[in-house]
Amino acid sequence: MRTVIKILVFVMFISGVLQWKVIEMAWEDFRVIQVLHILSSIAILSLLVPFIYRHIRRYYFIKKVNSANGWALLALFVLLIMSGFYLFLIGNRGGDIVGILSFNIHLYGSFLLIVLFISHAFFTEKKLIVSVGLLFLINPQTSHSAQMLSNIEVNSTRSYHSEDWTSSAKCKSCHSEIFRQWSNSNHKHMVGSNPYYMVMETLAGEAEGDGFRKWCMGCHNPSALLNGHEKTTHDMEGNFLRDELFEKDAEKLSKDFKEQDNFRLEEGVSCVTCHRITDASSKGNASYTVTLERKKYAFEDSMAPLGHWFSEKLINSNPEAHKKSYMDPLYKESRYCASCHDESHPINGIAIVSTFKEWEKSEYNNPKDKSKHKSCIDCHMTNLKDAKLSPLRGTSTDGGVIKEDVKVHYFSGSNHFLAGLKDKKNEEQTIELLKSSAKLDVEVKDNILSVGVTNVGAGHHLPTGVADFRELWLDVEVKDRDGKVLFSSGKLKEDGNIEDGSRLFQKVFGDENGKPVGLLFWRYKTLLSDTRIAAKERRVEKFELAEDIKHPFSVSVKLNFRIYPQWTTDAVKKVFPTLPNPPVVELLEIKKEFE
Amino acid sequence: MKRLLFYTLILALTVVSIILSIAYLTPPKVIPKYSDDKLRELALSKGLKPTPNSYEKLLELVDDTSNPMNASKIALGRELFFDTNLSKNAKTSCSTCHSFDKELKNRGAMSKMISSREEQTNNCVACHLRDQSGVDRFTFSEGDNHEPHPYLLNTQTVLNSAFAKHFTWSGEVSTLREQSKNSFLAYHKMNISAQELEQRVMKSEKYRKMFSDTFQDAITFENINRAIEVYLKTLVTRGAYDRFLEGDNSAMSSDAKRGLANFIGFGCKGCHSDISLGGQSIQRFPLRDFAQVYDLKPNFELFPEFRRFESEFPFENSGGFLGKNKEHLFRVPILRNVTKTSPYFHNGAVPKIREAVNVMAKHQLGRHLTLEQIDEIVAFLRTLEGDIVEYDVSESR
Repeated sequence: MRTVIKILVFVMFISGVLQWKVIEMAWEDFRVIQVLHILSSIAILSLLVPFIYRHIRRYYFIKKVNSANGWALLALFVLLIMSGFYLFLIGNRGGDIVGILSFNIHLYGSFLLIVLFISHAFFTEKKLIVSVGLLFLINPQTSHSAQMLSNIEVNSTRSYHSEDWTSSAKCKSCHSEIFRQWSNSNHKHMVGSNPYYMVMETLAGEAEGDGFRKWCMGCHNPSALLNGHEKTTHDMEGNFLRDELFEKDAEKLSKDFKEQDNFRLEEGVSCVTCHRITDASSKGNASYTVTLERKKYAFEDSMAPLGHWFSEKLINSNPEAHKKSYMDPLYKESRYCASCHDESHPINGIAIVSTFKEWEKSEYNNPKDKSKHKSCIDCHMTNLKDAKLSPLRGTSTDGGVIKEDVKVHYFSGSNHFLAGLKDKKNEEQTIELLKSSAKLDVEVKDNILSVGVTNVGAGHHLPTGVADFRELWLDVEVKDRDGKVLFSSGKLKEDGNIEDGSRLFQKVFGDENGKPVGLLFWRYKTLLSDTRIAAKERRVEKFELAEDIKHPFSVSVKLNFRIYPQWTTDAVKKVFPTLPNPPVVELLEIKKEFE
Repeated sequence: MKRLLFYTLILALTVVSIILSIAYLTPPKVIPKYSDDKLRELALSKGLKPTPNSYEKLLELVDDTSNPMNASKIALGRELFFDTNLSKNAKTSCSTCHSFDKELKNRGAMSKMISSREEQTNNCVACHLRDQSGVDRFTFSEGDNHEPHPYLLNTQTVLNSAFAKHFTWSGEVSTLREQSKNSFLAYHKMNISAQELEQRVMKSEKYRKMFSDTFQDAITFENINRAIEVYLKTLVTRGAYDRFLEGDNSAMSSDAKRGLANFIGFGCKGCHSDISLGGQSIQRFPLRDFAQVYDLKPNFELFPEFRRFESEFPFENSGGFLGKNKEHLFRVPILRNVTKTSPYFHNGAVPKIREAVNVMAKHQLGRHLTLEQIDEIVAFLRTLEGDIVEYDVSESR
């Protein structure tokens, strides 16, 4: 019995130490040893506790031997068990000191324990060499599951299946705040829940042939594309298309995950899509590499609730590999975002969206002077407050390390509308960002009203992205003292469209015959107009007032923004009747009296 | 006491290790790897056939002396099929539920819809008309005036039904003509009486001429349905699978070929047979009784989860339909174009094809397919997709 106990203590020690970073154990072995260590520790405890009890009774109470070494060993043993349980049940997530303490006690304490144990147990006996020799016979490499899994790794050319795309709902259990931010953001709503996209993808398939959908799906729906699907699908509710426009916090996704686990594919851009991008270039049109093969802890793919629970405990107790497999220095670089935020026609190569290239030429791209360099995430993944960047102090994991600037996952850009239907906080973040982008000034000389618009905040053109579908314009009103309107520009017509002759900052695409392309933006051949404002540029718009205009009068200028033109929304509403009209957002207003 | 504890422990350990080793003791069925030609030979020998590529071949297979096919009758049937005036409220045609574009080559359904001034009633059409699936993509069918099916049954496709021997979910109807009649009369479909239908057809100059060219006798309810029957018989699709069976090895991907081998090897083809891969027989569903009560999900996982179904089916029993004689007897559905006809099963309770394949494997074959096998079968089912063949009927007869 005593020999067995001795061997078991060494097994626990060795299996624990093998998980130590310094050892650099192969992942396939690590994940098996981790489980074995925990399970065997619990099993061994049931043998050890009665043994220790009998041992103490026999030597201390009966034989009256008082060994200081023995008591120290007991104290340390209790400490190790407690820290072990803490690591398993609560984990070392980085945020609480007890977790960190437990980890260190468990790791370094085990060395002390083994020294104490050797001196206590082998001081008088000479079986030491035999025992140590026995230990080395236990070869962890012969584990069955390790071999099975390593086969998968070799077979890297296989196509992906839905279970490879770990559902974002799974990430929610530990990253609840980040999940919430993402679930109401535009990155979540790029496929079935985005009416504009669904209409456009179908239209593209209809006009250019169904194969053309793949161009859209590369960035909008990589999971479906890589699983071999030919188009984006949507959910149904009875006989109706499920209305996800107003659904908060991705409830359906969580429900699906609960019922189906990963069996039903999560379409669109999920957590793993971005966090398993292993390479990216700034070429655009989905110029990134997704590698779903990653270090998974034991039971991570288990469909059973107990397996889920167990794998979470395994991750939390030693989250090193988990962190590493979802984070990459690449994610801080602009080219990572550029892989999708630059876009060109897949066949003729004509640039359609050039947000990255605009940024590249701007003064925000300044790798030599770190204080002036601003990459995409410095603005678009940083918390905003009162139209100013205000880094958020907090954690990205529940109970994790406090970070001074948690990268928020609102992905605020310009589309406040679709996010805002779900969550006001998301909308607020985007509007704050929009407001921080420009400045207005106004001047009247003779009868000419000059309005200056300066792009002070955006590291790219204003507006950028699909600037052919963005409306940024000046709403001007000149009134006399009695409130009579003397001049106006940029008002909405009755049908919701902006009146002709308004000053819009946008680009207008034309086809090869110079006609506006309308919805079919990929048919763009000639640029009919481009009035976007480059980074740091001041644009002056001049309005001619009546020559005999009488002073005093007041001028009010607003910089308005609307995410989609009314005619676009009208078209989409034919298919999605529940879609509301996007509101006009007043970004800035300036009022001036001229005496 | 100690000894009892010891033996209990040993016994528990033995039981647990036996349970855990079941997965390894019962190896999954291995489907042999076939060469392309071998696979084709196997498929053909099991009675799988391509759809006819010419009108003459089609006639050989589906023409019936009691209602012979000819060009004018087909043209008349086509007009009737797409005519909304033949329902009580004059809003519904056969094609409202069995939807595809009258002009088979028309590609502009979406552009037409978003530029039209009218409000559409069936928005699915905008995206799915060009699918040529022959179904409405609804969960349950809705007839004239949005009358839902009393059992909330899902619309079945009319495409390739020429090769079927049974029709409707219970399979109790044995000819297309009979089902066409039923559809006119049913209050939850066209909702029109034979008499009124005849009157409406008679009012139209176009139909009077077409009928006199086609039939010897008058415009009757019977003749209307005869014309529709022959038109339906021409609604046949061809896809990559047919080209593969005819000798084109490159028509199917390697995944799809393995899917076909699985389809044959696991025994799906036992019921989903013949040209149409279904519609040939009436079978019990779900077949495995154990599955009705307990679903081992997933089987032989280290931590198995037991889930109890409170339902007659391994999915929600909406509508309460129990098949023929309420005995869980259903017509085997046609698998051609199945990937375009989601949602699945008689009440449309299963939204995705992979889930449907999984349910079928578990409850009809008693197999727990691997996710890879499911994906391969789905890849094979995709090769059954095809556009409606435009047969050259003009010169014949």
